[in-house]
Amino acid sequence: MSPSLFFQIVSVEARKRMSYRVDFWINAVVGFFVQFGIAWFLWTAVYRESGAATIGGYTVNGMVLYFAAAQLLGRIARGLEMDGAISQDVYDGQLSRYLVYPAGFFRFKYAQQLGAMLPIAIQLVLCGAWVPLFIALPSDVHVTLATVAGALVAVLAANFLNFLATIPIQAVSFWADNVWSLMIAYRFLSALLGGQMVPLTVFPDWAKPVLTVLPFRFLYAFPVDTLLGRVSLLAWAGDMAILFAWCAVFGLLARVVWRRASLVYTGVGM
Amino acid sequence: MIRADRLSKTFRVHKKAPGFVGSVKSLFRREWVTKHAVREVSFHVGEGEIVGLVGANGAGKTTIVKMLAGIIHPTSGDSEVLGFRPWERDNRFRRQIALVMGQKQQLWWDLPAADCFLLLKEIYRIPDAAYRERLDYLATALEVTKELNVQIRRLSLGERMKMELIAALLHAPRVVFLDEPTIGLDLTAQRAIRDFLLKYREDHRPAMILTSHYMEDIETLCERLLIIREGEIVYDGRLDAVVANFADRKLVTAHLRAGEPIAASNGNLADLGDVQEANERVVTLSVPRTQVARAASEILRRYPVADLTIEEADIGVIIERIMRARGDQKP
Repeated sequence: MSPSLFFQIVSVEARKRMSYRVDFWINAVVGFFVQFGIAWFLWTAVYRESGAATIGGYTVNGMVLYFAAAQLLGRIARGLEMDGAISQDVYDGQLSRYLVYPAGFFRFKYAQQLGAMLPIAIQLVLCGAWVPLFIALPSDVHVTLATVAGALVAVLAANFLNFLATIPIQAVSFWADNVWSLMIAYRFLSALLGGQMVPLTVFPDWAKPVLTVLPFRFLYAFPVDTLLGRVSLLAWAGDMAILFAWCAVFGLLARVVWRRASLVYTGVGM
Repeated sequence: MIRADRLSKTFRVHKKAPGFVGSVKSLFRREWVTKHAVREVSFHVGEGEIVGLVGANGAGKTTIVKMLAGIIHPTSGDSEVLGFRPWERDNRFRRQIALVMGQKQQLWWDLPAADCFLLLKEIYRIPDAAYRERLDYLATALEVTKELNVQIRRLSLGERMKMELIAALLHAPRVVFLDEPTIGLDLTAQRAIRDFLLKYREDHRPAMILTSHYMEDIETLCERLLIIREGEIVYDGRLDAVVANFADRKLVTAHLRAGEPIAASNGNLADLGDVQEANERVVTLSVPRTQVARAASEILRRYPVADLTIEEADIGVIIERIMRARGDQKP
């Protein structure tokens, strides 16, 4: 796929997402303030009731920031609702139109996912600027231009990893037609084990080494920790390397599964 | 340009008993049925030819189109389109074909057609000048120039189908698959699309396979017909030869002069053929081709005939008879 086609697909998808401005702004406000509000009320209550000054190494403000950032960056890492787009295409037969195009299907879908994320990124930047008005940044949080840039790269890589990791799961739809429940299970599991619901430091000691070797932490905990300045440059580079190794593993798996799956595709719904 | 060689496709379909109990049972044990959608189909389509692929619902038309467009793999048999095996999905092959599905939206619902076409320009790597020239030609021919910047979802069904056609033809494909392109359209829109396809064929000479349930589409656009029944091709030949091959009867209609008495000795009409209609104003008989002259002269002798016509049976009726007949029956 040529770069110009890739960017054209990204642009078309972004334009599609921005076609309805009321929805765009409601999404931005709800997406940010609701998540931020939930984080605030939930964690202030937990800290107040427990009487603890820190939980898992986070102060109450640090935890609120972590939770809000994990929810918002998590939307980018998951590629919004696009993480089930391939199985939906198989289910309703829309895959047929992509198979006729002289363009790689996965690249096409990935470009669409990136395009769908662009408006969300704009929303995040616009809303994120208000954060210091609501909450004082704790002393262990150091948000700088470098951490923002590092988090941006990390979340884009996380999005790519999530895209590849979901392909084998979505490919089950070639045999089972509907894999919605499977995708929900994956989302829940990856959110829990990846640090979107709570920081990984909150997990018991015996679980931490297991969580470290699983790929899920790269989806949520890694970009958020990077943004909040909790990852050194060296650790960041090492984690990026492991993240791309996971991408290679899932990419290979996706290729093998796809080859078999396309043999049984029936184009039902066409 | 298109060659199908003993193409077959079999599907395994889950059969569920009706009702709630059937749904619960199917959670534990499923009954599967093997459906032979296409059985050893062979044919060839040349450059500039529009071949009509007709058959009842579920006869296998769309499955054939899907295999030839490279969307699904056949269970057995082989095919070659423009020198490529379709289901290998070589980009050189995909750049030269187009698929229009009347029942399926292919453009982006929330965007104006012009934006969709720009994306297709990149997908098919159409040079700027060629893109502008083709878009102008297609939009003018289909009379939708003013609607190019309107969101697809705000267009009428006919306009949307015209945009789908433009999208399919922008890259000047050498092979076009049209799967029910006029379905659901009003008569004016149907005619506009038929006229356009005829003009496009004249100007560009692609090979086209057209499936349609509208006989007017088939009669206007196709010289050659493939009739498919239960996954098998039962007729492959010229459209006009269908009548000669399958219509063994003609319709003889006599309009009678009003008020004149009918001779008592006019005998039994059923001796001459199958009576379709008989009253004091008109007599219509379906007569074996070899008996037409005799039946006509007998009617002239027995009745006060004001006007007499002899017609071939309606081609649509013949094709429908061929499509509906069982495998072991003569249509």
